[in-house]
Amino acid sequence: MKKFIISAVCVMAMASCQTQQSLYSWYDSEDAIYTYTKRGTEETLAKAMAQYEKVISKQKGLRKVVPPGVNAEYGYLLCKAGKKEEGLTLLRAEIKAYPESEKFISRIINQLEK
Amino acid sequence: MSSCAEQVTRLAQYPKMYEEKPLTIAVMPPINQTNFVEAKDYFYTTLYAPLCEKGYYVYSPMMTMEMFQSESAYDAEQFIEADLSQFRNVLGADAAMFTIIKSWKRNKIGGKLTAGVEYILRSTKTGETLYKREGLISVDTSVNSGGGGGLFGALVDMAATAIATAATDKVVAGRRCTVFVLSDMPEGKYGTKYDQDQNLPAGKSYVKATVK
Repeated sequence: MKKFIISAVCVMAMASCQTQQSLYSWYDSEDAIYTYTKRGTEETLAKAMAQYEKVISKQKGLRKVVPPGVNAEYGYLLCKAGKKEEGLTLLRAEIKAYPESEKFISRIINQLEK
Repeated sequence: MSSCAEQVTRLAQYPKMYEEKPLTIAVMPPINQTNFVEAKDYFYTTLYAPLCEKGYYVYSPMMTMEMFQSESAYDAEQFIEADLSQFRNVLGADAAMFTIIKSWKRNKIGGKLTAGVEYILRSTKTGETLYKREGLISVDTSVNSGGGGGLFGALVDMAATAIATAATDKVVAGRRCTVFVLSDMPEGKYGTKYDQDQNLPAGKSYVKATVK
């Protein structure tokens, strides 16, 4: 019986490893963002923002870091929603995490700072 | 068994990916050759996360789309064979991912959606095609993958678990199609197999499959 339980646990552990291959946790962000870009309402924006917060604060993927573009996208939306300082901080965080994004993101930052 | 014998490695199939080692990818708006106009939008959003999961830095499609629209670059047709250096200069992109939606069909019975899509990754430096693969993928949007699933099962599952209940099934189908077809794409810098997947098998350049 003990052996059975041990092997069952092993199988479960292996199964969970298989599903843990994702580099990043996305939660429902893609869908929320898609819905927001399609409808553009206050309600869909709030839902998208909640998802960004989750993706930024709760990374359970293999890399344990925020996926490419997420800090930038959220920062960009915050700037557009009037939270400029908060937004710019996130845009700068994108460059810090992904230096290869600098060319594009600093262009955006320059536009927003004007 | 015979297909095993014919299998080529990723290095043999996509040598330029290993030569150029692109890190940053700009997702181009899909080229839609179907009558279903909305397929373009549905598909555009499904490319970003799967490419990130392959280990690449992918520019936010939402942010680049605004730029493409203001530069009247929303029609990617004009770039598919053109010089791409402006994407390198403006974005810093090493490569641009083009997609051509060739067919988009919904079966009235059983909720199956079949998408025919070609994926072409071109270098912004040399203009060369680094990766190219076409899939005719039927996605059963009414059933979850349920695990197992052989070679690509884990990857497909990964996409399945990422799917929100709120998602439209067309977005879901597009994403599963992308994950499936790009499964043999060499990994980028942030991938766990970066520069170690040369000897893994590459898929056929045209793949026909049903993904549950």
